[in-house]
Amino acid sequence: MPVEVIMPKVDMDMASGKVMSWHIEIGQSVEKGEPLFDIETDKAAMEVEAPATGILHHAAPEGAEIPIGKAVAWLYAEGEEVGEQPAPFAAVGGDAAPAPEPAEALSDDSAPEPGSEPEPRPEPEPELAYAGDAEGIRATPAARRLAREEGVALAELPGTGPRGRVQAFDVREYLKGLATPSAPATFRPETGPLHISRSKGGTGTPVVMIHGFASDATSWAPIESAIKHRPLIRIDLPGHGKSPKLRIRDFAALVKEVRAAFDGLQLDQAHLVGHSLGGAVALALADTRERKVSSLSLIAPAGLGPQVNGEALNGICKATRAESLGPWLRSLVADESLITDGYARLAMQARSDANLRAAQLAMADALFPDGVQAFDLRAALGRIEVPARILWGKSDAILPWSHALQAPGRVALHLFDGVGHMPQLEVAGEVGKILRAQL
Amino acid sequence: MNAHSKPDLRELSYAEAIREAMDIALTNDPSVILMGEDIGVYGGAFQVTGDLVDKHGTDRVMDTPISELGGAGVAVGAALTGLKPIFEFQFSDFAALAMEQIVNQAAKVRYMLGGSVSVPLVMRFPAGSGTGAAAQHSQSIEAWLGHVPGLKVVQPSTPEDAKGLLLAALEDPDPVMIFEHKILYKMKGHVPEGHYTTPIGKAAIRRDGKDVSIVATSLMVHKAMQAAEQLEADGIDAEVIDLRTVRPMDRDTVLSSVRKTGRMICVYEGVKTLGVGAEISAMVAESDAFDYLDAPIIRLGGAECPIPYNPELEKAAVPQMPDILAAARDVVKGRV
Repeated sequence: MPVEVIMPKVDMDMASGKVMSWHIEIGQSVEKGEPLFDIETDKAAMEVEAPATGILHHAAPEGAEIPIGKAVAWLYAEGEEVGEQPAPFAAVGGDAAPAPEPAEALSDDSAPEPGSEPEPRPEPEPELAYAGDAEGIRATPAARRLAREEGVALAELPGTGPRGRVQAFDVREYLKGLATPSAPATFRPETGPLHISRSKGGTGTPVVMIHGFASDATSWAPIESAIKHRPLIRIDLPGHGKSPKLRIRDFAALVKEVRAAFDGLQLDQAHLVGHSLGGAVALALADTRERKVSSLSLIAPAGLGPQVNGEALNGICKATRAESLGPWLRSLVADESLITDGYARLAMQARSDANLRAAQLAMADALFPDGVQAFDLRAALGRIEVPARILWGKSDAILPWSHALQAPGRVALHLFDGVGHMPQLEVAGEVGKILRAQL
Repeated sequence: MNAHSKPDLRELSYAEAIREAMDIALTNDPSVILMGEDIGVYGGAFQVTGDLVDKHGTDRVMDTPISELGGAGVAVGAALTGLKPIFEFQFSDFAALAMEQIVNQAAKVRYMLGGSVSVPLVMRFPAGSGTGAAAQHSQSIEAWLGHVPGLKVVQPSTPEDAKGLLLAALEDPDPVMIFEHKILYKMKGHVPEGHYTTPIGKAAIRRDGKDVSIVATSLMVHKAMQAAEQLEADGIDAEVIDLRTVRPMDRDTVLSSVRKTGRMICVYEGVKTLGVGAEISAMVAESDAFDYLDAPIIRLGGAECPIPYNPELEKAAVPQMPDILAAARDVVKGRV
């Protein structure tokens, strides 16, 4: 019997997840515990380990959205006969989706209408994520209860019990690990090119996406489905995501690194999308590579005035545990309920590397000394002639939305009431539609 | 052994405590009678009734013919017609001979006559192994009777409870089966003076602990206590629960203990399969305490064979202290 690989529940209020990429090809083998695929949820991205050793078959297409607890692939034992796919992939919304066509599982129609609530998702069956894993997670009832209460993904925990069983001890140790304040980190600079991730599929002029400060490429997930008809190229800023932790002395140095990465892509034309600090970088890039830029979309961009919420940036950089990170994350959005404890814990997990935090702290110090934006792109905004738009939430508590009003008349403004610093998360549907119309 | 024993308090043996309870009952309540084979002049197979016949006379301390079925039938009839008999079996194994009266009459009459009558009958069963009395005189059959609605089944493990549960049984309007462990008869412990009762259906926490709940019955409570003392040296803090009553079982005490410790071992002398421990385990598995379990539940019960005559094999056929020790270590250290 092949072992079913399921979409794990990694977030408290997650109903489904998107298979972002497979680490191995169909027909290749994987050892139990090795990274098998990446998933994205509304709020986070995560690597999922193989639940068993085996050969990958019937893998869900990249981009497919699968309800939690449902199969995304099957692992066959060496020599085991591979027949029909044991069961069709479950689609979000209930109906089973056929295997081969990635677009089927997540059609454009599933993007929320502007101004409407996101489509209700099927209620997750909470026990599935834990119980439907006979070959996967072995955990005691107490460990499962703790994990459930604390919003910890059981699949991520090493089990120290018999046959790798996860015990309450393991969950507590894990939580303790998250809670242990690390020593004041000294920044150990690294070298190397920036990390670039690309979507599969899409045609026409690619979209180059540059995330904001203290974020990473996974932050684009909520709007990607809306623009996936174009090839998506995500750049991780230095000291962010999977990029090396470079020493960045000032904004020019930062732009230089990103420009090198952009040049390395050897694109004839690209749409640029940037958020916050990434917006400033995109603007600077457009200013120096204007002939290659088809359009520029800036979401709550930095660089258009001196004010910035330095306290929040500092707080996010310095937080060593979910409890201290959560409040600052909540300042990023207008509707604080978007940032659950589980979300904060996952975000902290992504920031667990002390050197990453140290690199970002050093960068914050270089770019925003004394809580001031030490770089000014207002002139660049005046110069550029490519089609450009600025999207901003009018409840942004990090960068003042009124900075947008300095844009020249040819730059379109999209200002959202009741939205904070993360429009691409808070009103993903609307942002997706606006971008799609431009790309 | 007894948590309550203190040198300055009055101590009695388990058998003496039972005798005292019967003496008090005979003295206070003219409707109480004792019945059984050789309980009169001979003083009972294990000398529990002792000289009570001298004090209370043969009208109230009655030797019955050597027919358990007949004796039990008379006892049920006496209970139905206003007396409160205490019926002693020489060995609990002989309950098999009286099953019709116990299971089909005593347990059911109240129900079958719409609650118009009750059977205030107490039966005492010398039980358990360890005396070299072999297969037909060494069993622990409390689970047989615990399976019958209409009966209450208790297993005192201390002299104090032996007296208190007997006096409580006499106050109960329905049949109460008391399983007394033969090995405990000589065990001494503090026994309060006068009349008191130990509640039926209420377990006792003999030792507080946080790492593992050892739920034990009868003689096994003492083995569990010895194991718990040794476990302390390993840094394992075991909680020992004396179940005391098999039916009705004290759900609350067991579940709250498991919620605290997350681990459970059931220790009982009856045959492991389909025994008391299976019921305790299922009770936990079906409850909200399930979510607190951090290790498999372990049952230590009697071997799947008749109790052997050979003393070494007899010992091997029921849980011993080292078995409890090993199980507790395994379960706490995550080896099972």
